[in-house]
Amino acid sequence: METQAELENNDNNNNNSSSSLIGGGVRQQWPTIDGPLGLSENDSLWYARYFFIFGFLMLPLLWAVNCYLFWPVLIHSRSFPNLRPYVVRSAIAFAVFSAILGSWAVTFVVGGERLFGHTWDELVMYNVADKYGLTGWI
Amino acid sequence: MAQNPKPRSIIESLGEEIVRIITPVSICMFLVVILVSILNNSESSSASFTTIATIAYTEDSSDSFWDKFEGALLNSLVFVAVVTVVTFVLVLLFYLRCTSFLKYYMGFSAFFVLGFMGGEIGLFLNQYFRIPVDCFTFLLVLFNFTVVGVLAVFMSKMAIFVTQGYLVVIGMLVAYWFTLLPEWTTWMLLVAMSLYDLAAVLLPGGPLRLLVELAMARDEDIPALVYEARPVLANDPSPRDNVAQRRLWREPRNVDSVINENSNIGSNVNSSVNPVSGLESNQNESRIVRAEEGQGSRGNSELTAPLIEHRINVQMHLAQQTVETENLVLEGIGLGSSGAIKLGLGDFIFYSVLVGRAAMYDFMTVYACYLAIIAGLGITLVLLAFYQKALPALPVSVLLGVLFYLLTRLLLEAFVVQCSVNLIMF
Repeated sequence: METQAELENNDNNNNNSSSSLIGGGVRQQWPTIDGPLGLSENDSLWYARYFFIFGFLMLPLLWAVNCYLFWPVLIHSRSFPNLRPYVVRSAIAFAVFSAILGSWAVTFVVGGERLFGHTWDELVMYNVADKYGLTGWI
Repeated sequence: MAQNPKPRSIIESLGEEIVRIITPVSICMFLVVILVSILNNSESSSASFTTIATIAYTEDSSDSFWDKFEGALLNSLVFVAVVTVVTFVLVLLFYLRCTSFLKYYMGFSAFFVLGFMGGEIGLFLNQYFRIPVDCFTFLLVLFNFTVVGVLAVFMSKMAIFVTQGYLVVIGMLVAYWFTLLPEWTTWMLLVAMSLYDLAAVLLPGGPLRLLVELAMARDEDIPALVYEARPVLANDPSPRDNVAQRRLWREPRNVDSVINENSNIGSNVNSSVNPVSGLESNQNESRIVRAEEGQGSRGNSELTAPLIEHRINVQMHLAQQTVETENLVLEGIGLGSSGAIKLGLGDFIFYSVLVGRAAMYDFMTVYACYLAIIAGLGITLVLLAFYQKALPALPVSVLLGVLFYLLTRLLLEAFVVQCSVNLIMF
């Protein structure tokens, strides 16, 4: 399903070389991964910008979704000059955030009690859930 | 390279449409079966909470057959009554044009399901597998997951795959919750809901039929959670100026898609409303149907109440029993304006509940019920192509599924087990 849409998208892009070539790349028409099913270039600016901005509210997944949604913008480096800065910055921010979060999580798992002492038991999720009875109310 | 793909036959495009709706249904059922087989190992935990679905009778495994039967019947009647009332309230709200309230309600229910129920199930899995994740990471991930899910449900132009994925996850979470109900109640509930669905969609006074007619008359969307399959694009990828309107209802197809030309599936009720819309497209590209966002199903969308839960606990006051009615689209299968098939989220949920319940007995019943449901869905799609109007998707599948479950459990199991034990066939 997904690949088919992308193939169609690529077919679209390759067929759309009716527009002039810009800087060595083929001009794309559809900035989103859904191709013709997605947004047009004019509408996408709002999405790209606000996904980037709201990602700063501790929402790195929004940056990831931004990159996924505008994947053609990331891949084709000369296209969509107004969208590209936001998408590239989202990608970088997501990479940085996930590196930080990943390293914290791995430290937590690997370090265990040797590193944290008894606070490891206090921080680990299943103990926290037991302590506050979080699983009890379903 | 010459781009001249061979024209797709009707079988390919029709088959692809059907596959695109059966795949998410299967994935949802599969996930629920996995969750059920991991988490529901202790049967005793099922009767420990009270909800709207068990308000009339709390099942006890020591009751006699008739007691359980009557109790389950009462429970399901109460549930169907509540769902009917809520649907009529929804029709009333829609009639009074409180669409933004409904949309916010939908977002809130998505938040509730993803955040709380998703969190609970995440915690269950954590405890079961003893995953050593710390609370900050867990809460951050849950927060992200929930917020992006609410956005996916709310916003029309999110990536189709993301929206579809979130809808499947929402269906899975609600279905898992339903499998926690007692056994007899669940089965009676399924049967009762499919009969209700049949009545609500097809009878002239049924709430879902009223809703669909109202929405059609006004040419508006019903704000509800509907899964919409990605439409099959016709093989003419010429550049277009217009973006395919991801609109479902509002702009009926003005160009025939491949499906339409050949099989008339498309001309369903909606397209009878103004055939010309603002965005005229000259090519025969299928209209892009919006994969989501809960826009009108042609089917019967019902803001329903499958998830009504309150936990009566010593600490909670009665005032806190907020009946969280979720805007889950109950039954309803229909066609989007491009011919892409739309299936209400309630259908996902009840199919998965059936299969999940079957999984609590044995995997043999799972296979039988899965086949029954897919067969029922296929029959419903054929009927949809034939009648070209909104149809209830629950009755055929669920009744077939229940029938197969009973037959498997009563008749097939003895046969298969004996054969296997004696090393004859399987």
